[in-house]
Amino acid sequence: MQSYSTTTRWWLFFTIPLFILLSVYFVFLYYTSDAVAEKRRPDLLHPDWYVIDTARGEIRQNTSIVGNCHICHAFWVPIPQTTETSNPRFAHANLQLNHGKNDRCYNCHMITDRNMYVADDGSAIMSETPEKMCSRCHGLIYSDWQAGTHGKWTGTYMPATPFERLTYTCTECHDPHNPLFKYSKIAPPPVWPEKYIRTENQGIHLGPLSKILIGEEPEEIF
Amino acid sequence: MDDEYRDNPLMPPYEDEQKKLNRRNFIAGSAAFVTALAATGAALSPLLEAEEIPTVDDFLQKHYKQLSTDEKTTIFQKLEAQIERDYGVQPNISDPQPMDGSEFVYVLNIGRCIGCRKCVYACMKENNTSRDPQIQYIRVLKVKQGAIDLETSSHTYPEKEAADERYYYMPVQCQQCRKPPCIKVCPVKATWKEKDGLVVVDYNWCIGCRYCEAACPYHARRFNFSKTTLPAEDINPDMGYLSNRIRPLGVMEKCTFCLHRTRVGLYPACHDACPTGARKFGNLRDPNSEVRKILERERVFVLKQEIGTLPKFYYVFAK
Repeated sequence: MQSYSTTTRWWLFFTIPLFILLSVYFVFLYYTSDAVAEKRRPDLLHPDWYVIDTARGEIRQNTSIVGNCHICHAFWVPIPQTTETSNPRFAHANLQLNHGKNDRCYNCHMITDRNMYVADDGSAIMSETPEKMCSRCHGLIYSDWQAGTHGKWTGTYMPATPFERLTYTCTECHDPHNPLFKYSKIAPPPVWPEKYIRTENQGIHLGPLSKILIGEEPEEIF
Repeated sequence: MDDEYRDNPLMPPYEDEQKKLNRRNFIAGSAAFVTALAATGAALSPLLEAEEIPTVDDFLQKHYKQLSTDEKTTIFQKLEAQIERDYGVQPNISDPQPMDGSEFVYVLNIGRCIGCRKCVYACMKENNTSRDPQIQYIRVLKVKQGAIDLETSSHTYPEKEAADERYYYMPVQCQQCRKPPCIKVCPVKATWKEKDGLVVVDYNWCIGCRYCEAACPYHARRFNFSKTTLPAEDINPDMGYLSNRIRPLGVMEKCTFCLHRTRVGLYPACHDACPTGARKFGNLRDPNSEVRKILERERVFVLKQEIGTLPKFYYVFAK
């Protein structure tokens, strides 16, 4: 009888709370598992990720100078004596001129009327039709644009009238001073479960022992 | 001697006593029966938490090609009521038929694509795909310049790696093959090629065996592993029965070139969302369409030409 006294069952003080904690842990595991846990309401898609716009849409609103050029370039402002002017100054200082060889303002802008563009023969091109000015150099792309194989079209693909199809001109996608696309509304990568995502080959063997076991892996495959 | 043996409860019973229905056998048998009943109920209890239980009408619904116009109207009304009950949005399910003399073709100019993934999310918005787990039809592969090496490509690149000059970006979606391997393997003919060349799925006929997902060489098909989760604000109420209606649990889905838009004359959603004009869509049999002119003038290629699927999704490296 001595062996069943309370003094010899001291281990129950540890085992009973341990089992209670374990049961709480198992219940917690059950309710936090993917099958049972209540699903969080998924976020809405950000409108920037699907709205219809062009590659220059947002930039044009901020940086382009719109309005009447005569406000500054009136008849009393002297016309520069040389057409070699290549550094935009004063109000145009925020323009980045990165158009290859075409680094002279008056290649495109008319020197006597800054609201207009200039054609090959020195005549004026209205600012609403910049594609005629761009076609002086980019003739092949201009013909592609006319055929619809270059540039963005929206609307209907078999229009009954031309007004059902919305086309965009050169300067609505390209900045003429810096024609490369600078689009900033980049959408995030997919969030599929990790096992469905095929990762890049680089990084598969990046374990702590990988250098000892398989040696250095080449950075570039080809 | 014999009576003593029978009265002793510790002795095993005789054979004639075992077959007789006495009190001891009755209690033991009913206990076993109740236990078996409880075990059966416990085994079937997950059915109580099933997300979708089909009705008799769902079981008896015919294949899409065998449905008459009246039956379609009834089914569409039932589906609309079900979607409104589950998601709180009044949809309008339509069923545009293929136009005569049309063969839809996509041309994608890889030289223009900057990898911004806007087509991916415009497609999700248009086609009511599940948000969690996320289902996307388009994968934008980031491939190293110099070769079409899909082994080293990645479609999980972060936002800051887009528009990198050392890489090019190649969106891959359903190629709408002229010889689609996915429809050959379907055991119930739930997926087929329409007259205008679009490969579609009857979501009510699909049994979810996922053979077509394994057969597709472009990984263009997706499976609904769980019930579609969609916020009511993001649901596109203009739905097509074969394209973008909210899919039930356990069926395959895929890109259909936005069939509910293209068969009424509109461009697909991914085409309209592309900010650079890299995507070109049109009718191949229309001699004035953009895609026809590109195919006549430019050097195009298709993905995995060697396996003979004859895709209608062309890539071009034009300037």
